[in-house]
Amino acid sequence: MNPLILVIEDDAPIRRFLRATLSAEGYVYQEAFTAEDGIIEANTRRPDLILLDLGLPDQDGLEVIRRVRESSQMPILILSARDKEKDKVAALDLGADDYVAKPFGVLELLARIRVALRHSVPRTQDRAVTRFGRIEIDMDERVVKVDGEKIHLTRNEYKLLCVLSKHAGKLVTQQQLLNEVWGPNRLDEAQYLRVYIANLRRKLEADPARPQHLQTEPGVGYRLVVD
Amino acid sequence: MDTLVGLRSPDSPLRSSEPRVRVVRESAITLVVMTSCTVLALALRPHLAAANLAMVYLLGVVIVALLCSRWTSVLASFLSVVTFDFFCVPPYLALGIDDYQYLITFGVMLAVALIVSTQTTRIRAQAQEAVGRQVRTEALYNLSRQLTAQYKDGDVARIAAQCAEETFGGSFVIVSKEEKRNTDPDPHRSSASGSPMPDPALVQWAFDHGEKAGHGTKQFSEAPALYVPLRGAGGMVGVMGVLPPHGDFLNSEKMQFLEVFANQTALAIERIGSQRAAESAQLQVQAEKMRSSLLSAVSHDLRTPLASITGAASTLRVQGDKLESGTRGELLDSIADEAERLSRLVGNLLDMTRLETGPELRREMYPLEEILGAALRRFERQLEHRRVTTQLPETVPMVYADEVLLGQVFINLLENAMKYSPEGTPIELSAEVMENLVAVEVRDRGSGIPAGEEQEIFEKFHRGKTNDTRGVGLGLAICRAIVQAHRGTITAYNRAGGGAVFRICLPSQELS
Repeated sequence: MNPLILVIEDDAPIRRFLRATLSAEGYVYQEAFTAEDGIIEANTRRPDLILLDLGLPDQDGLEVIRRVRESSQMPILILSARDKEKDKVAALDLGADDYVAKPFGVLELLARIRVALRHSVPRTQDRAVTRFGRIEIDMDERVVKVDGEKIHLTRNEYKLLCVLSKHAGKLVTQQQLLNEVWGPNRLDEAQYLRVYIANLRRKLEADPARPQHLQTEPGVGYRLVVD
Repeated sequence: MDTLVGLRSPDSPLRSSEPRVRVVRESAITLVVMTSCTVLALALRPHLAAANLAMVYLLGVVIVALLCSRWTSVLASFLSVVTFDFFCVPPYLALGIDDYQYLITFGVMLAVALIVSTQTTRIRAQAQEAVGRQVRTEALYNLSRQLTAQYKDGDVARIAAQCAEETFGGSFVIVSKEEKRNTDPDPHRSSASGSPMPDPALVQWAFDHGEKAGHGTKQFSEAPALYVPLRGAGGMVGVMGVLPPHGDFLNSEKMQFLEVFANQTALAIERIGSQRAAESAQLQVQAEKMRSSLLSAVSHDLRTPLASITGAASTLRVQGDKLESGTRGELLDSIADEAERLSRLVGNLLDMTRLETGPELRREMYPLEEILGAALRRFERQLEHRRVTTQLPETVPMVYADEVLLGQVFINLLENAMKYSPEGTPIELSAEVMENLVAVEVRDRGSGIPAGEEQEIFEKFHRGKTNDTRGVGLGLAICRAIVQAHRGTITAYNRAGGGAVFRICLPSQELS
């Protein structure tokens, strides 16, 4: 059965464009114009994914995330304006899965939808070995290799890489990373996180200034790109 | 009045000594000198002719003239003749004379005494006048020197009042036009200091009429203080309030000088006013110029892509079926590209507006390459056909920056490099850490920067002269605004072998 996508967006031209694109890709499409309708649709139809605009006429889009997350873990993708880093972070920390900044291209949107849907499918088995590009992570052996050669990582670097690879393809906020690697008491120390990321890049990436895998979403967080 | 005593320095030549004290002093001098002359004359009388004794009195008159005022010395002249007659001319101790020849002696003696005393006092007055003039000139010089260094109304008023107090004694207050408007009336000041000045009603009167008012004038003469209007070349600029020392009247000479003083102050206040007016006028002209160039730039740059989008879209709608698929693709591409250009343009305009209203920096420690990397990723597609090299130091250079804003700087610089250099030419990025700064360079192999425009390219709405590039000329202005907000510098120059280099220096930070 084709996945059902619920679009909560008040702008008609964008809805029209999304309807055309998503239908063409074979998704089942459902739309809501307001936050209130969106929450009702989400609860009754149980879509496979929600595309959510944060600037809705009746309520803040963040409220939709909060209400949906009370009862469901369905993936939520945010559509947001370019300069609203704060909103993006707030939405992600509330449990949204990813965001696409307006104006966005259709390829980017479809890629994000695919990643989000893939993550929502429970994995049948946890593979111990993850490979992407020249990099190989063996979680059983706790070994990371680049071009088949063992790389020395510190404990925290390794933990960080594991967390990112667990959410591969997905945007992870700084707060999430700090929480999962260093614990809830170190949430203010984003600068250490950045230094660790920089060091990881120097160890794993061919050109640390043009990372292929460990990518930054300015002002929001990091994403491990494995395609 | 007690507080005012503290303001006076004890001996200033321009201050009036009290008249009563002076009368007593001069009378005493005259009495002492005349008595001394008489004693000397009586001692010499047995040995000398009366005519020679007259010389003793003449000497006395000269001494009095040297020490006292003109009228006192005239008085002393007459007194000397009378005393001479009384003590030195027979019959002694009587005003009559035996020999009428003495009338000649008296006449000559009086004439000589009067001439000598008048001349002496005049010379002395001239000397004093010269000293006074010098002191006044110095005071004025001092005033104007101190006033020229000031750029604020309040400072001028304060310094002028201070200079006046040093020069005249007493207490001075200067109320400028603006101040009068703002603080009128100011019951707090007068009640707090216990000072009877300034009296708002009299300040207002002097200001409105442009005439002196208060103490020693025809208007409100019973008031304790005098109010002198401050008149500049272009009208009234304020009022100077004077509380004279010990409640004295100022004599006409001092009054004149006070007016000169007031004029100087008025001119200084006026100068500051017109300076401010000129500055704000210039700002207005600049804003006007900016607005018009913004309008023309925006209307052109918004309309051009909109025109191609509208054109392409309507062609597709009306003739879509008749077009070859290649042509359709081209039209669709141009819609997408132009829309993207519009989006960037609007983004730039928004950024500039945000930066001009004072950017709110959210600064944190970042590894430089993270910010560079995010900017490079923006242009992944456009940079596919170019060789982009990055050269970073061994240690991770850290910058204390707003990630998004500083990222915008590199985005704009990269965009520029792509715009002004041919497809296929390389773009180089490099960073080096120096003693207390991080220097980042973006280098291209394009047309370079026109000679002499190394500064101007950072101005708003300045656009490079290249045929097929469009933009509002905001990119580099945004870069400069952001870099400056980070306390850094941005410079541009041409490199050997062709192409441009943009160099950003940021203060480096140690990770604590």
